[in-house]
Amino acid sequence: MSIVWDWFYGILASLGLYHKNAKILFLGLDNAGKTTLLHMLKDNRAVSAEPTLHPNTEELVVGQLKLKAFDLGGHETARRLWQDYTTTVDGVVFLVDAVDRQRLPEAKRELDNLLSSDELRGVPFLVLGNKIDLPNASSENELKYALGLQDMYGKDRDAFQYNDGYDACPIEVFMCSVVRRMGYKDAFDWLSQFLT
Amino acid sequence: MQQDHFDVSYTEETAGTRLSFHCWPSSRLEATRCVAPMGALYTPLKKLPPTCAPPTALQYDPIRCSTATCHAVLNPYCQVDFRTKLWVCPFCLTRNHFPPHYAENISENNLPAELIPQFATCEYELPNVPPAGPPAFVFCIDTCAPVEELTELADSIQQILNLLPEDSLVGLITFGTNVQVHEIGFGGLPRRMSLEATRSMEQPRATTTKWYALSNKRMNPLDSSMTVESILDDLRKDPWPVPSDKRVARCTGCAMSVATSLLDLALPRSGARLMMFVGGPCTSGPGQIVNRLKTEDMRSHADISRNAEPLHKPACEFYARKKGSSTQAAANASATSAHVVDVFACSLDQVGMLEMAELVEATGGQMVLGDSFGQSVFKESLRRVFRTFEPDVPEDGGKMQMAFGATLEVLTSREFKVSGAIGPVTSLGKKGPNVSDLEVGKGGTNAWSLGGVDPETTVAIYFDISNPGVSVISLCMLVSIAYSLVSYSYITLLLYSILDVSTARGKRRFIQFLTKYQHANGRTRLRATTLCGPWYNPPPGEGEKRAPPQPGVNGYNGNMEQPSPVKMSFDQEAAAVLLARVAVDRTGSEDVADVLRWVDRSLIRLCSKFADYVPDDPNSFRLAPEFSLFPQFVFHLRRSQFLQLFNSSPDEAAENTTNSLVMIQPTLLSYSFNGPPQPALLDSQSVRPDTILLLDTFFHVVVFHGETCAAWREQRYHEQEEHAAFRDLLEAPQADAQTIMDNRFPVPRYIVCDQHKSEARFLMAKLNPSQTHNSEGGGGAQVFTDDVSLRVFMEHLMKLAVQS
Repeated sequence: MSIVWDWFYGILASLGLYHKNAKILFLGLDNAGKTTLLHMLKDNRAVSAEPTLHPNTEELVVGQLKLKAFDLGGHETARRLWQDYTTTVDGVVFLVDAVDRQRLPEAKRELDNLLSSDELRGVPFLVLGNKIDLPNASSENELKYALGLQDMYGKDRDAFQYNDGYDACPIEVFMCSVVRRMGYKDAFDWLSQFLT
Repeated sequence: MQQDHFDVSYTEETAGTRLSFHCWPSSRLEATRCVAPMGALYTPLKKLPPTCAPPTALQYDPIRCSTATCHAVLNPYCQVDFRTKLWVCPFCLTRNHFPPHYAENISENNLPAELIPQFATCEYELPNVPPAGPPAFVFCIDTCAPVEELTELADSIQQILNLLPEDSLVGLITFGTNVQVHEIGFGGLPRRMSLEATRSMEQPRATTTKWYALSNKRMNPLDSSMTVESILDDLRKDPWPVPSDKRVARCTGCAMSVATSLLDLALPRSGARLMMFVGGPCTSGPGQIVNRLKTEDMRSHADISRNAEPLHKPACEFYARKKGSSTQAAANASATSAHVVDVFACSLDQVGMLEMAELVEATGGQMVLGDSFGQSVFKESLRRVFRTFEPDVPEDGGKMQMAFGATLEVLTSREFKVSGAIGPVTSLGKKGPNVSDLEVGKGGTNAWSLGGVDPETTVAIYFDISNPGVSVISLCMLVSIAYSLVSYSYITLLLYSILDVSTARGKRRFIQFLTKYQHANGRTRLRATTLCGPWYNPPPGEGEKRAPPQPGVNGYNGNMEQPSPVKMSFDQEAAAVLLARVAVDRTGSEDVADVLRWVDRSLIRLCSKFADYVPDDPNSFRLAPEFSLFPQFVFHLRRSQFLQLFNSSPDEAAENTTNSLVMIQPTLLSYSFNGPPQPALLDSQSVRPDTILLLDTFFHVVVFHGETCAAWREQRYHEQEEHAAFRDLLEAPQADAQTIMDNRFPVPRYIVCDQHKSEARFLMAKLNPSQTHNSEGGGGAQVFTDDVSLRVFMEHLMKLAVQS
């Protein structure tokens, strides 16, 4: 029976009539590119934003997903607010500035805090290494190493099927450049399979 | 009549006013063609130099025009007949007799202060209004904030207590789950009343009434400030437990309700400030903006525009009713309430400023948004509310600058009417013959209530030139009749004679601003500012600018050679602010995209009216110096947070009001080794590795080190003696930033940052993106944006403006 429903919703989705609803958070250190990504997803335009003070909320449609996205400020004091938003979240997009190597340890610390929090247990984490358009950006492997994320979930759908039934926390690193519109599409495709 | 070199800042210094045009076109049609709004920016309490106004307030009642509908105040522009002891009101042309004590002494050589020609502004301290007593301050403190925040807050308030005049009254209310009203003058024993946050608004009101009857010691003169200080020292966090899936219970609305009722009952007439210190959203009782359950989200722009937010509207209505209770109750007593509500919100998330904004604006209060009570943005802003006049100011020296319960009335001569006002004003619904049907902002009235004011409060007033609307019609009829009868040249002569009759050459326009307010000393004052300016009758044909110039018509040789005095008298800065205020006001009721289109259209029409060009040739486009900066102002206005809601929460959007040009077009100074600091273009080209930039965006003051400078500083070169020049270079912009911050209210956020670092975005977001990641080569820094640059903007503008 459920196959019939899946097929039915699949058709509706392909017609743009049915969207999966989900609530996701954009987190990461300041200047990682959270607000720029949010604006890019919303209007397909890059803007130069001031550092975010209050959380931004936008409703986005990405593929079959209808996302309620929260973009929270990333500077140190603003991070205190993150815990207020983690109560009922379907996914976390964690942005990292791949150019700013000095602050990778700080990013790792914040990511570890999030991954170890009770409220975010089992929630899919999409880690985006942003700004790869700049010449001295770190590579995917370098970033994975710096963030301590060597063992990943797997980017292909088969891995998803294979892991089904296990209680592994889905986490994966993708490299992207928001202003060049590169890389984040695959990343959101990956994330969307976990959002129901 | 023609002024070739019109100094736009002159009226600002002498009368606290700036006009978009000094010389006005005499017909409504021509005024519409000028596109830019005909308006004035008036700063009612501006301190004027002793050459332009009497140094101290006049201790008598003003002489007013005897006509019931006019009651203009005697001013230097009145025609005075010294023999018959008569004066003619320039507004209604009524002849008035001087009262006997004036008539006895007045002569050409012995004038009362209000008739001295250069005193266009006079302030009267009205002797017949009884003094209202010293001002009162009620501090309303949110105890749900973290402990360290509370300590900072208590510390700031204690400092404020030392700044207050000795006889001020002080009240203290704390709130969290419940509201506590502290009793201050009760010996050594601290006593307080606890009140449960209820959903009904009437109940707290009734309860306070009872309390007030019980003891009227909740507000006390400052001599018991020791008690207040000890209460502040013992300030503790709200003791009620908070489950992890819930927000803290915070009854901001209820606390405000209690405080306003207390003030209304205790001090219905005298000036008072209710200062709310809020650390988070209101989650219980009236005024609630978000559910306590964390599963419910805070409202967003999208929710509000869809009306999908169930708590938003009731909260707005609740606060609006508070406004009603304070202004209407007082309206019966024929004066506006003198109670001001300030909100200081220091929180990482929204607190519901959007909902409270209407109340705060209506009472003339201040809204300050910050991250933390420890920030200087909050601490300094709070202190600035209590600013005093310099000790050497005659009469007012050392007195607080704040004033209460102000009302503003605008009188005009008969050729034009008042369209409305934009600023911290509420309409008083006063109809009169000079009220235009055409409404701009808060219209349909010629008087507004301002509530609390300070010497910086500025109101934008818009006018509608209604005058020869009639004569133009009759003119057209006449022309059509006459055309069949007489030759063309005769008609032209006829036209002139008619126009000269309707607004005779040399006839002037008059505006009078009457501001009544309660001074911090409890006395009521009235300030009258009278402005006078010329009319200009455009020769026929000028409206049709593209028509070939008609040679020999009254010496008129087309536009190029002799620009019209209207054009010469344009004040682009004032016009930009007037336009910006209309645009921002419109965003309240219209879609932002529509407002942007309207702004664009206005700019294009303005340029095609006033620029010099050959039709359809963009390269021939030239703007006169009076207009040259205007397109830039509009460019930056379009990019500013006033018209771009993205990345600003509903709360932040509510805080924005365009007061000055700096808000629209930030200023940028560049410091380098190659000479003194220089103003730099607000452009990414100005970012150089070896310079330091100082950006002033009104809300932020940013000191930006280029990468080389930053690297040198990291190497600590400035600490070495041989690099003293570098040390000076580092210090100069910081000193200048301090000067800016000392004179600004609310105090801007101060940011020192380095190129390519996170906080550099405060600067980069404001720059004109002449270099982006999409362009190649060139100097300066890249801005990561798809927005168009000023150059592209100007190219489009030129193309559209010259289209025939």
